Amino acid sequence: MNIRYQQIQGRSLGFYALIATLGVIILAALGGVYYMEHNGHHVTGMSNRIVWGMPHVFALFLIVAASGALNVASISSVFNKKMYKPLSRLSGLVALALLAGGLMVLVLDLGRPDRLIVAMTEYNFKSIFAWNIILYNGFFAVVIVYLWMMFERRMNKFSSKAGLVAFTWRLILTTGTGSIFGFLVARQAYDAVIMAPMFIIMSFAFGLAFFVLVLMASYKWTDRILGDMIVSRLSNLLGIFVAAVMYFVAVYHLGNLYLSENAGVENFMLFDGGVYTQLFWYGQIILGGLIPMALIYHPATKGNRSMLGLASVLIIIGGIVQLYIIIIGGQAYPMEMFPGKEILEGYGNVAPYTPSLPEILLGVGGIAVAIIAIAFAVKLLPFLPECLADRQAMNIADIWIEGLKEEFSHDLADTHSKECK
Amino acid sequence: MKELNRRDFIKSTTATTASVVTIASGISLTTFAAEPPKESAPVTNEKRWGMLIDVNKLTESNIEDMVNACQEENGWGNEVHSKADQKPSWIKKVKVKDKATGKIDTLPMMCQHCEQPPCVDVCPTNASMKREDGIVLVDRHLCIGCRYCMMACPYGSRSFVHEDLNNQKTHMPRGKGTVEACTLCVHRVDKGGVPACAEAVDSEGVIFGDLYDANSKINQTLKKIQSTQIRADLNLNTGVRYSGI
Amino acid sequence: MKRLLTIFLAAMSIGISAQIHADHHIPNLGEKATEFKDEDKEAHKRPNMSHADSLIMQRKMHPELLLHKRDRTLRQGVRGGRASLEKCVDCHTSVDKDGEHIPVNAPEQFCSTCHQKVGTSIDCFSCHRTTPAEEM
Repeated sequence: MNIRYQQIQGRSLGFYALIATLGVIILAALGGVYYMEHNGHHVTGMSNRIVWGMPHVFALFLIVAASGALNVASISSVFNKKMYKPLSRLSGLVALALLAGGLMVLVLDLGRPDRLIVAMTEYNFKSIFAWNIILYNGFFAVVIVYLWMMFERRMNKFSSKAGLVAFTWRLILTTGTGSIFGFLVARQAYDAVIMAPMFIIMSFAFGLAFFVLVLMASYKWTDRILGDMIVSRLSNLLGIFVAAVMYFVAVYHLGNLYLSENAGVENFMLFDGGVYTQLFWYGQIILGGLIPMALIYHPATKGNRSMLGLASVLIIIGGIVQLYIIIIGGQAYPMEMFPGKEILEGYGNVAPYTPSLPEILLGVGGIAVAIIAIAFAVKLLPFLPECLADRQAMNIADIWIEGLKEEFSHDLADTHSKECK
Repeated sequence: MKELNRRDFIKSTTATTASVVTIASGISLTTFAAEPPKESAPVTNEKRWGMLIDVNKLTESNIEDMVNACQEENGWGNEVHSKADQKPSWIKKVKVKDKATGKIDTLPMMCQHCEQPPCVDVCPTNASMKREDGIVLVDRHLCIGCRYCMMACPYGSRSFVHEDLNNQKTHMPRGKGTVEACTLCVHRVDKGGVPACAEAVDSEGVIFGDLYDANSKINQTLKKIQSTQIRADLNLNTGVRYSGI
Repeated sequence: MKRLLTIFLAAMSIGISAQIHADHHIPNLGEKATEFKDEDKEAHKRPNMSHADSLIMQRKMHPELLLHKRDRTLRQGVRGGRASLEKCVDCHTSVDKDGEHIPVNAPEQFCSTCHQKVGTSIDCFSCHRTTPAEEM
């Protein structure tokens, strides 16, 4: 069955208002970058103890979410779940946009961003960071080729192979991103290889949450039909991914707690770390894990799209908090340089960190860049299927069965599940 | 007159430009041939520079002298805009108390010049490097200021320059946006000298020398007395050793 | 079309020959360099080349000389030799009316007289000292 894709009109007041708001945020972010670069990093909250701050939290969040956003396309191409096929184009787009936003934030925070060419030509192949630069650039190329094969009718038959390449590439990429931390022996919070698969699971959750928000928003704001069948499946997936993240977090912390050499940092993060402890329990676990799962699965809120949207937003906030704790909490806690001794002077304190306004603006600017890229792209090219009503979805998935027709018949009166015109 | 179409125009101009450029660059390459004046030889791994710090022989004011000497020699410490945590500290005074006995030791900490430096492993551009003779440096021409090496350093010995600098020492260029650390005063060492911090302490507290040279004071002292590396369990084989802690 | 081609080639050759034969009159050589020149000494003279050609070579090749040397000094510990940023700064800085040295990369100073014209930025002096070291 042919899926009809169509660009959005993009001429409404709402669309222009969205672009304008995002534009203002991006300009503010660029202003912050100029201020930081011109004066030097002394205007930020980062220091020689907390070397990576707010910009890196947002940048890594966006990069991790980018690889996860490609999941939906992979599920259709690699795992052959045809129902997700209409969403593949949007999935590739969201992945590219998020990665672009994340890399922009990362590059603009460098001490010498004018030396980006050096970073792209001088490689130290022992450095996981250098490998990541290759992987990120390659991801762009791979996903663009993958998208082209989905757009170009004659290439459609190759799109599943391209999808497999993209899937493998993003797994290696996310493993590499997790290894940025996992390979550092110096710090107690990082010396854990589980960070690599944990980052992969985090990418599943954050990427899908972002994708669900983009999907629901673009269909709602353009008055296109999005059936409950697709939304409920994505919602279930999201719940499973959030649960999986919580599992990996539990294993990571339990593993660390068991090793007495890491007891210090665990006590810090879980119990007496001040802001980091509060962020962990209230931000990451409750706000970013338990409440979204309740919203997704509890009978009172299950199936409600606003609740799903809220759950996605909370998952994103929880993700940013999780990365804040990993990146900044991990640096704040002092390294164990003298086991058996207490450091009185010169080192050993929990390093203080207060994010400054330019840093926060830069981070938020990255998200704004991602969203504005998506907004422009869906207007320029046919990324969005015209109609994703339930009957359409079932036809695509070849699961049109009389019994299912009965199950969904009560929804036909519901505005969400009208048939396509 | 024959009509030149667009294709022919592009073909002929490209051919002419290419040939002119080739000939021109060829001329400049072949005419450059010079007789450079005498240069020293590159360093080799026949030597490995190291330092032995005897904590028991150093007083607190000795260590403060070491810090001041390093600042004076290398030109850091005058940063006006940076907050306390942002100011560079190539060498710092650290005071530790033993939890069991209560003994308090004060020691100077700087880049440990590891044989297997984590900072060199993680640098994406090869800016963080180890010289053949064991001195770990930052090639600030290549440094992009990503601070990953600072994350990776087990001793927290590297500093990031958070503001514009001027009036640098001629032998120690340093600038905003790059990472820096103790260089073991490589500019002095290459001329046969010792680091400024070692020179500032005239007791036996700090011994600098070639770890591989069996006749050097540091080699013989290390063979005689008990010494340790900080965070020895990481197996980095540091060039800076401590005794008395 | 043929006329266009002729004009294009003529412009290119004028440009190239202008590069080779231009009179590079540098208005601000710097204090010590001007003294040197006034004493009719030949700075940057290379063996087997005339002084004028040596100066042209210096202008053309100074980036390569410095870049190559910086890697050998920093990464391999090679000291001495002809190329040295410190020596350039030593000769080519000017002195203002109070007797203070002006930073060599300031506008209207030695480096900028060429670099402003060709539109190439100089990265050296964000880190390297811009005036000769004070004599103790």
